[in-house]
Amino acid sequence: MIARCHRFLLAVFFVVGCLTSTFVSARETLAFGVFAYRPDNIIRERYEPLVRYLSDEIGVDVELEVLNQQDMSLAVAANRLDFFLTNPSHFLLIRSERSLTGVLATLVRQSGETSTASLGGVIFTAAGREDIDGLEDLRDKSIASPGVHFLGGFQTQVLELLDAGVDIRRKNRVRFVDTHDRVVRSVLSGKSDVGFIRTAILEEMAQADADLFSQVKVLNRQALAGFPYVVSTRLYPEWPLVALPHVNERDVRRVASALFAIEPEDEAAMAAGITGFSPPADYQSVEYLARTLRVPPYDQMPRVNWVDVLNQYRVWVLIILVLVALLFASSLWLGRSKRQLAAQQSRLKQLIRDWPQPALLIQDDIFVNTNRAAVDLLRYASNASLYGKSLVAFSPELQPDGQLSRHKMEQILVRVRSGLVERCEWMLHRSDGTEVWADMTLAPVDGEGENGPVILCSLYDITRRKQAEQRQRLAASVFDHAREAIFITDSHGIVIDANDAYLEITGRPQTRAIGRLPPLPMDEGSGIFSSARTHGFWSGEFSCNHHNGESLVLAVTISSVRGDHGEVSHFVGIFSDITRLKEQETRLRVMAHYDSLTGLPNRVLFSDRLQQAMALSRRQGSKLAVVYIDLDEFKPVNDAFGHDAGDQLLIEIASRMRAVLREEDTLARLGGDEFAAIVINVQDEASLQGLLLRLLGRVADPVRVARHTVEVSASIGYTLYPQAKQLDGDQLLRQADQAMYEAKHRGRNRYVRFSAPSG
Amino acid sequence: MQRRDFLGLSIATGLSVAGLGGCSKSGPLAFGIHPWIGYEPLYLARDFDWLPASVALRSGTSARDSMDGLLSGELGGAALTLDETIRIWSQGTELVVVAVADVSAGADVLVARPHIAELADLRGQRVAVELDGVSGILLLKILEVAGLSRDDIVAVDLPVNQHPEAWSRREVDASVCYEPTVSALESDGGLRLFDSSSIPETIFDLLVVTRDTVDSNPGAVRDLVAGHFAGLRHMVRSMHDSIYRIASRQGIQPGKVKNALGTVMLPDLAANQRYLAASGRVESVARSLSRLMFDEGIITNEPGFRGLCNTAFLPRRVS
Repeated sequence: MIARCHRFLLAVFFVVGCLTSTFVSARETLAFGVFAYRPDNIIRERYEPLVRYLSDEIGVDVELEVLNQQDMSLAVAANRLDFFLTNPSHFLLIRSERSLTGVLATLVRQSGETSTASLGGVIFTAAGREDIDGLEDLRDKSIASPGVHFLGGFQTQVLELLDAGVDIRRKNRVRFVDTHDRVVRSVLSGKSDVGFIRTAILEEMAQADADLFSQVKVLNRQALAGFPYVVSTRLYPEWPLVALPHVNERDVRRVASALFAIEPEDEAAMAAGITGFSPPADYQSVEYLARTLRVPPYDQMPRVNWVDVLNQYRVWVLIILVLVALLFASSLWLGRSKRQLAAQQSRLKQLIRDWPQPALLIQDDIFVNTNRAAVDLLRYASNASLYGKSLVAFSPELQPDGQLSRHKMEQILVRVRSGLVERCEWMLHRSDGTEVWADMTLAPVDGEGENGPVILCSLYDITRRKQAEQRQRLAASVFDHAREAIFITDSHGIVIDANDAYLEITGRPQTRAIGRLPPLPMDEGSGIFSSARTHGFWSGEFSCNHHNGESLVLAVTISSVRGDHGEVSHFVGIFSDITRLKEQETRLRVMAHYDSLTGLPNRVLFSDRLQQAMALSRRQGSKLAVVYIDLDEFKPVNDAFGHDAGDQLLIEIASRMRAVLREEDTLARLGGDEFAAIVINVQDEASLQGLLLRLLGRVADPVRVARHTVEVSASIGYTLYPQAKQLDGDQLLRQADQAMYEAKHRGRNRYVRFSAPSG
Repeated sequence: MQRRDFLGLSIATGLSVAGLGGCSKSGPLAFGIHPWIGYEPLYLARDFDWLPASVALRSGTSARDSMDGLLSGELGGAALTLDETIRIWSQGTELVVVAVADVSAGADVLVARPHIAELADLRGQRVAVELDGVSGILLLKILEVAGLSRDDIVAVDLPVNQHPEAWSRREVDASVCYEPTVSALESDGGLRLFDSSSIPETIFDLLVVTRDTVDSNPGAVRDLVAGHFAGLRHMVRSMHDSIYRIASRQGIQPGKVKNALGTVMLPDLAANQRYLAASGRVESVARSLSRLMFDEGIITNEPGFRGLCNTAFLPRRVS
């Protein structure tokens, strides 16, 4: 029941369908386009029977249009075609330009007994070309091809050559000549070295020209069993037959069924050289080819947006982001470190530049950098004055130790380059010619990547110190070599240092000199320090004992030395031994006032004492007597026994007289055999005269001289003081002298008092 | 997941570098292969230079050559069926399955003379079979299906390539074989009586390598598997080209190649991952098959199959 119902419905549909078809076909014919891959007339001749067959089968006029690729594309765009048959590459191009209902069928080509639904490319050259044997030989050869959109005529060959490492699209001259026939002619005529055509062309053309295969050489020939044509490349599906979307479905269906119904023996098939049509092949291999070669419609890269990239390469993007972030962070960190480093460097530079101690950098023995202090030290105007010069250029020829500056510096630099730090004193010349002493330190500086080792030269001006040292040395030498004793004490007077002369004069060994008091005067003792503290100094002479007990007289000066706060911190003493000087002085004084023979005061001292006695007498109201004594008969003794005997006599007499007189009385020798005496506190004249008698008696006693006993006497004159009128000493002595002469006159050996002449 | 992929990639890179190093030491991986539609991708890869120098194909005439090579240590790997793999393992050489080349879906065929109309008619007939090959297994299955025992037939142990000759000399009444022998026998009057499509996902053609090779030359193994998949891709994508090339090598008509392709399933990468997974189809079939073979006395001991399949050498994708 159901089956019958179906059949009925089908019948209804069929009738309606037929009517519609008749109606439609009554209005129009179907245009069947075939791509003219060979000359138009050949194509037309081959496909006319097929078109007629289709017209008959579907009951609609089918019109054959033979078109080249461009025209076919235009016709498709204008909907002037209903069906078309073209190569797969061209089909892909058209399909990409507009949606099609798709491939109805794939052509199956017939060659003799075999058929194939595959096509490939043929690479060939003229038979005589011995220089072209393999694909590699195609480099730099001219190539003829029907066109870019020919699958078997261009694209298959390009891919095959690309796999073999020959990129003809970049390196070769390719001539596009529209049809396969022209390619063959171009190669045979020698216009092109190599030709690209699709499979079956050579075989078809060989039907007209039996000689053709002997004229060409096929390259890279593939041995494919069962494939009826020579081929140089891998294979792809044959041409698709395509229906355009505007064609109604019934026509499509009828055309399809008519196509599949074609048998190899049919006229339509025989004429077209085909076996018939097979169900649509899978054209993905052609698509893959087009994509690989980037030929249209796959010549444009699909636009990939960043989301696609992110999806595809999420991990990589993440890693790259992390790496970029790390890079960024590390550059920030590096930048900061660099800034810190730069700031540090500038601080250091500034520090070195403004550092008050002169510093210079030496490289290859010359200055390459200096600071301000160094320039100032050498008294130059700018750093530039020092650059490029060696240290020797600023040094005198000889250093104070006698070495040549150049020689000494070389030795020092050798040691410094070996890594040692050298320190020495160095004399430098300033620009104004003055000399400056420097304490110089040379140290190697670790300079990586520098041309040569860098040496830091640091100078320290020690000129003042040197001068002070010289002064000190001078002072020390004065201290050491002075004839005078010099000592230094602390504020309490204890000796803390003393020179050699001190030890020599005092006779004290070093151990007994230091840490003790210096020689001091007996009476004042340490008081002299108080005096020196008060007045700033003390000086005086005093005696003391040498270490060995001898007596010494010292002339001492002590000065106080004040400290920073005005307090007395030290005393400096200087003294000399004046013992001999003092002895000399005493001797001279004795010589001036005493008689050298008898040791009695001489006339000078006598006068002096007379003055004193007269003054005392006046003050006390006492009396004194001046006595003049002259020896009688002295000259004969002198003449008889010689001067020595005379002198001996005088000494003896003087001694006897001295013994008679009191201690407070003075006896003086006035010269020759004349003596004078001052007798003070004369109570009365009688006691005086008694004294005078004793004198005469003692003088008259015999004296043993020169083994002889001699006897002399004395004549004495005297006078008293005070007297009525004012008198001086000389007058008194003259009075006594006159009285002595009176005594001589009266017969010697007697005394006579002066009596003023009357009248 | 992404991270693991990335790690895997880095490790793989490292391993391949190490592998290349090992390569220079141990030489290229000698890989035994013989004509079979499922192994054609490797041949294609060789023809298109997609196999690097680290892999050297040693083409034999039958599976027996490959098995002898593996046992003697001449080969580091071979294209074998699952049962052949079990045989080798049971003889002491541990193998690792690194790829499934194809799954027989009608490729292994029992061809019989016209008078044998059904399986039961096999009783008492001379059946040519390569007993220690995959055909032996199919025969066991056939007998199982037919309800016959091994003694009910006369098994003529003969390498597959000698079947057509024996057939034409009428020395055998039936043959358990595969293409191209099937086509040869069919054109000589044989009829298909049974094929592996009746026992789906049982007969696997595999790429196996020895455990030593996996350890010492992993880079070459990776190259081998990558080459197989590159060839397979060409086969699928450029069927028009591949058919003629396969036909040329096997010496048969392109149409027959098409037919042969219809009798095998060629698993792609994803399918391979599935088959080779731990406790996947290959491993479970291996266990049941080894029990059958042990019961039949084909093998004397059952292998442990620890680490039988290894997906580590499958490329992440075919570029």
